[in-house]
Amino acid sequence: MTQASARTRSAVAAHPITSAAIAILVAAAIVGTLWVPFYARITPKVGDFPFFYFYLLIFMPVTSLLLFLATQLQKRLNGKPLDTPGGER
Amino acid sequence: MSNVNATTFTIVVVLFVIVTGVGFGAARWHRAGGGTLLHLDEWGLGGRGFGTFITWFLLGGDLYTAYTFIAVPALVFGSGAIGFYAVSYTIMVFPIVLIFLPRLWSVSRAHGYVTPADFIRGRYGSRGLALAAAVTGIVALMPYIALQLVGIQAVLTVMGVGTSSTNTYVKDVPLFVAFVVLAVFTYVSGLRAPALIAFIKDTLIYLFVIVAVFYIPTRLGGWSHIFDVAQTHFNSISPTTHKPVGTFIPTSKSIGSTQFDFASLALGSAVALFLYPHAITGTLAARRRSVVKRNMIYLPMYSVLLALIALFGYMAVADPTTAANVKKAGNAQLAVPYLFQHMFPSWFTGIAFAGIIIGALVPAAIMAIAAANLFTKNIFTEFFKPDASPRLQTRMSQWVSLVVKFGALLFAVELPHTFSINLQLLGGVWILQLAPMLIGGLFTRWFHRWALLAGWLAGEIYGTIAAYNVKNATTSHWAASSDIVFGHSIYIGLTAVILNLVIVVVLTLILRAARVPQGADETLREEYTADPAEAPAPVPQQVGI
Repeated sequence: MTQASARTRSAVAAHPITSAAIAILVAAAIVGTLWVPFYARITPKVGDFPFFYFYLLIFMPVTSLLLFLATQLQKRLNGKPLDTPGGER
Repeated sequence: MSNVNATTFTIVVVLFVIVTGVGFGAARWHRAGGGTLLHLDEWGLGGRGFGTFITWFLLGGDLYTAYTFIAVPALVFGSGAIGFYAVSYTIMVFPIVLIFLPRLWSVSRAHGYVTPADFIRGRYGSRGLALAAAVTGIVALMPYIALQLVGIQAVLTVMGVGTSSTNTYVKDVPLFVAFVVLAVFTYVSGLRAPALIAFIKDTLIYLFVIVAVFYIPTRLGGWSHIFDVAQTHFNSISPTTHKPVGTFIPTSKSIGSTQFDFASLALGSAVALFLYPHAITGTLAARRRSVVKRNMIYLPMYSVLLALIALFGYMAVADPTTAANVKKAGNAQLAVPYLFQHMFPSWFTGIAFAGIIIGALVPAAIMAIAAANLFTKNIFTEFFKPDASPRLQTRMSQWVSLVVKFGALLFAVELPHTFSINLQLLGGVWILQLAPMLIGGLFTRWFHRWALLAGWLAGEIYGTIAAYNVKNATTSHWAASSDIVFGHSIYIGLTAVILNLVIVVVLTLILRAARVPQGADETLREEYTADPAEAPAPVPQQVGI
C-alpha cells in the first residue's frame, strides 16, 4: 500500500526510480514518529527541550516537506500538472 | 452561580453571541450557482465548492477539538509522555491519508457519493455492507461528539457557571443552552456554519495558544524548570500503587512498555481519523483533487500547535496552584482551564475559554452533520423511502443531526471521565473496523463482500468487549482503550482491526474458492485517479442514487 501503487501500472513501470522515491518519502514521514525507540531519549537536549519533545515538534515541518517533495515527484510521474493555474480558492 | 468572574463571563457570552450570529448568517454565504439549501449536497457538503483555504480550516477543525485542548493535556497532566502519542498521531495521519484519500475523493466525485457508505455500496454492490458502514459511522461519532461536550463542561465548571444541584442534568443547564444553540444553527445552515465559524475559532485559538506558549513559561521559571518538575513528578513512586506516577520518556522495559502503547495508539488513531464520516465529509466538500493533496502538505502545520497545547499539561504540573486545584476537583480535564484562569488576567481568560467552547462546538456540528448524512442517505433512503425527494432528504438530515447530538449527550453523562480521551479512543476502536472495506476497497476488489462483513462483525464485537472489560482502581468498565496482548500494552482498536483483517483474508480465500457471487462493482479503475473537473465538459452538480 504505497503511494506508487496508487498510480497506474504503466506510469510506475515507466518511472521506477521516481515511484520508489515517492514511496520512500511517504514511508519516511510515517515511520519517523512511529518508531518510538528512535527518539525516546532525554539527551541531547535542544535548548531546554528534552530530545523526545524536540523531535516531535521538529518532525511536523519535516513531514510537510517530505509530502511536498512526494507530490512534486508525482506531478512529474503523471506528466501533467496536478491542477490548472488559477483553479484554486 | 457563585465565584463567577464577571469579566471572563461577559467576554465568553459576547463571543458566543457573535459566533451564533455568524452561524445563522452562514446560510447565505458562499452559495455559488444559485443552489438551494434544501438539497443534501448543499446542506451537507456546502455545494462541494470549497477551495484549499476553506478546506484547510474545515479539516483542521476535525483535529482541533476539545480532544486537543482538554483531553490531550489532561492525559499529559495525569500520565506524562504517553499523552504525546497524540502528537505523533497528528504527524503520521497526513502521509497515511495522502495514500488513500485522493482516491476516495476522485471516485466519490465521479459517482456523486456523499458518504463513505455510498462508496462501499457502489464498490461491492452490497446493501448489507453499506448498512454496516453507516451504522458504524453513526455510533462511532457519538462518543467523539460526547468528548466535545465534556470539554465544554470542563470550561464551564472552572468558570463557576452551573447550578449546585447534584442531578447531572440540572447541574449542566448552561451546557444544554450552548448545545441547543449549536443544534439550531447546524439545522439551519448545514456545513456552511461550521466552515465559516472555523475562521473565528482558529483565530481565537492561534491567539491564545501562542500567547500562552510564550507567556506562561516566563511565569513558571522557563521551559527547563517545567520539564524538570514534570520529570521529577512522573518518575516519583505513587504511594498508593507503588508504581511511577507516569512516564516522562516512553520506556521499552517489558513491564508497562509504553513505547509499544504509544506507537499503537498513534497508528490506530491516525488510520481512524479519516475513516470518520465527518472527516470524509470535509474532504468531499473540496472542489478539486489537488485541494485534497495540497491540504495534506499544509495540515501538519496545524499539528505544531497541537504539540504546544499538549505541553500545557506539563505547565499545569509545574504550576503548584493549578496542580492543587485539579487534584482537589479530582478531574484532570480541568487542568488547562485552571491553568489559564490562574495565569491570565480575567479578560484574556475569557477569550481563551470562548476559544475552547467554540472549538468544541464547531467539530461537534461537523460530526453531527456527517452522521445525519449517513442516516439519511444510507439507511432512510436506502431501506425505507427510496423515492424521497431531495427536500425530504435534507429535512430528514436536519432532524437526525439533532437526534445524534442527544445521543452524544448520553455518552457524555454515562461514561466515566477519568480521561475523556477514552471517548475518542473508543470511537476509534469502532471506526477502525471499516479500514479493510474502505481503505482496502480503494485499492483492490479482491476482498469478498461477505468476508468483509464477517471480519467487521468480529472486530466490532472483540473491540467492544475488550474495551468494556478494561478496569482500573476507580472504574470497573471502559477505563482505558489499551489492553495487554502478548505481554505488550496495545491499543484495542489496532488488535481488533488485525483480527478483522485476518478473518477477511481467510474467508475471502474460502468464498472465492467456493465461487460465491462477488456482487457488482459500479466503479471503474480510472475513476480512482481522475479529477472530473479537468474533463472538457464538466457535468453540472448531480447526485447519484
